[in-house]
Amino acid sequence: MRTQRTWACKRHTLILPIFMLVLGLGCDNQYYDERLQMEVQQLDNDLENRWSTSGVVVLAITQNGPADKAQLEIGELISYVIAEYPIQSTRDFNTAMKKAMDEDNNLILYLKDKPPLRIATRRSGDKVGLKVEGNGTVRVKEIQHGTPAANTDIQVGDIVEKIVDERKIYSLGDYKKTLKEFSKQQVTFRTTELIGVKIAAVNALGNLGDVRAIEPLVALFKNSTELSLRKAAASSLERLVELSALNELFQQFQRANVDRLPADSLQAHQLEAAAILGLLTVDRAENMATLKAPFGTQFRHRSEALYQEINEGQLVELVQQYIQLDVEPEQEIRRACLAMLGVLKPTSAIDALITVLKNKTEIPGIRFQAGLALSHIGEPAVDELIAAFEGEDASTRDIAASALGSIGGTKARNRLIQALENANEPAIQLTLVDAIAKIGDATAMQALERQRERFQQDDSGIRIFLDEVFKSF
Amino acid sequence: MKKIWLAFGLALFLVGCGTQNENLSKGKELIKSDKRRKEERAVREFKLAIQQQADNAEAHYLLGFYDSQEFYEPHTADWEKASMAERGKHMFQAYQAEQGKYLERLIFETLRDDDIDIQNAALAALKLIYQKGDRNRLLNQLQKAIKSKDNRDRHDAHWVMGQIGKDAPETFVPILVKLLKHNRMETRLNAVKALGEIGSEQAIPALTALVASGSAKWKRHREKPEVRQLAVEALGKIGGAAVPELVQIVQNKGSSLRVDAIRALSTLGDEKVVAPLLDALKEQSRREVIIPLN
Repeated sequence: MRTQRTWACKRHTLILPIFMLVLGLGCDNQYYDERLQMEVQQLDNDLENRWSTSGVVVLAITQNGPADKAQLEIGELISYVIAEYPIQSTRDFNTAMKKAMDEDNNLILYLKDKPPLRIATRRSGDKVGLKVEGNGTVRVKEIQHGTPAANTDIQVGDIVEKIVDERKIYSLGDYKKTLKEFSKQQVTFRTTELIGVKIAAVNALGNLGDVRAIEPLVALFKNSTELSLRKAAASSLERLVELSALNELFQQFQRANVDRLPADSLQAHQLEAAAILGLLTVDRAENMATLKAPFGTQFRHRSEALYQEINEGQLVELVQQYIQLDVEPEQEIRRACLAMLGVLKPTSAIDALITVLKNKTEIPGIRFQAGLALSHIGEPAVDELIAAFEGEDASTRDIAASALGSIGGTKARNRLIQALENANEPAIQLTLVDAIAKIGDATAMQALERQRERFQQDDSGIRIFLDEVFKSF
Repeated sequence: MKKIWLAFGLALFLVGCGTQNENLSKGKELIKSDKRRKEERAVREFKLAIQQQADNAEAHYLLGFYDSQEFYEPHTADWEKASMAERGKHMFQAYQAEQGKYLERLIFETLRDDDIDIQNAALAALKLIYQKGDRNRLLNQLQKAIKSKDNRDRHDAHWVMGQIGKDAPETFVPILVKLLKHNRMETRLNAVKALGEIGSEQAIPALTALVASGSAKWKRHREKPEVRQLAVEALGKIGGAAVPELVQIVQNKGSSLRVDAIRALSTLGDEKVVAPLLDALKEQSRREVIIPLN
């Protein structure tokens, strides 16, 4: 009887601490850091898997505590804790090495006048393979053969400035442990930007067509260091510009305070553009244009404000800068900016567009798009386009001729006809014929007729093309 | 004496078979054959079979199954009768004649057909059963299907529950909410999808709880990411009163479903969404923060 009791007691004393341990490890997903005076939270269990991010989120910050004074913000995701060890003696070096290699077998070495060097060993306890000497200034004395250090460009005599240890934080446990190990005078956190969230928000704002989105999108576009985010911002701005160009159409719905209007009372090309953007449907048989819920029906309340902000704000000037190759290396963004100019048609952009069109280092698609934007600007761009056409570069001449053909008008037409009559290069001849055919008035057709006679005996592509042009007329 | 009765009975049976099922068996044989336009010809036989015997379950079922508007000139009487609703009615008549057999057949066999028209006809029949037939038995069979091991059964059942449930959320939402606790993940997944399809605000608390379970203390209380993701999508489909819940997910910075919530919100075009989205853009970008200690 007695022995049984002791056994039961023993079992109890064993189970209770284990239970407490499990409770401590398994269930707390929030933690108040006494020293930094802030509360952190373990990330949702699958954020790590889905967005390949990890860390702890700052949940609350006590006013005037160390975290608050350092301007850490609620919601920031702490992904790394970083420790820096300045090296002033051989002893500094050895202790820092040992500490930094602990846990993750990974450190960053800062040598004077050299880029930072990441050194990793395969197993804990493996040697890095560096020996140093000196006090105050610590120099590399020896590099052991066959060690990680031997595979870098470290040289004997290099001055060691500091060792940095970055620890990736996967869980609340990691956070607690690393902070305990590291912090003496200071703690350095590296936070992760949840780019996925921002991109989703940027895309959503592009769809909503709300004027409040312009300013923050422009800020992201100008300042973000994340390319994917800048691309998303550019394409959302592009969409907002496209939406704003439909203001006149949506104002007709808004003034009548209806979601349906007869299709023939509205401008055909605006209707088409709105249908492509998915804002309305057009029933030709019923002659009825109907705004689609929710975006179409809601946008009629929003279009006026968006239109004003885009046309009176700074967007036009900003976008003009970013079409240049030397300002914006990312072609998708240059393309989006050119598309915006094509919609907004500012005459102030003509010079900038001509520069892009003439830029031989620019990719052809982008140069062509600059020509397209100029052709949308139309008449005011004709003189500049003719000037560009007078140049030497074949591509420039080609694009300028196409744009002139799209714009039309007497001046453009006459210059194109004159050029065709003097042209000898088959490539430019084809472009010119195409451009003149696009203008398609009586004078233009007479000029093409003359060309057909000129090439009658010819078995060239130009004659076949001319035949095609007349066939389709 | 006995023998005479037996012979009489047998003769009656044979005669019965001969007259009642002649067209039906002809039609069935046609289907099995590889003759040209066999379905179209078989349908004619099934119609004749029904003319002779209005309550022949099999003939009704097969007519509902094989009839098609493609066989007829548009807007003729036959064409009208080959509509999905009419075909569903025939299947329903088969059910009325033999309830148990055809209920099971409709759910576990007909819905599984590759032809979307046949699926829709079966759906129409099941709707009629819900309205006029043995409702409890139907609900039981649908639950059995959504709990099935077979993925196709689960998928078909979720579709039917979503479609019929649109007109009867008060019946279907509680059933589906209860299924959110089922221990088969795929069943829960399908229940969530059906709730989204129904789009009733009654489902919001259950779906919200499911989403929030991601930060539950104990792992066994946390729903799988796939299911939670679909729950967010379902909240988006419900819209209306679900908008504040979705906004809350966007604002919960530790949630892995913020992106999904933003996507769900962006399909709704709701004015209330703009401010939280702008807040999300203001969040700090990647940086290093040094906190001095003393």
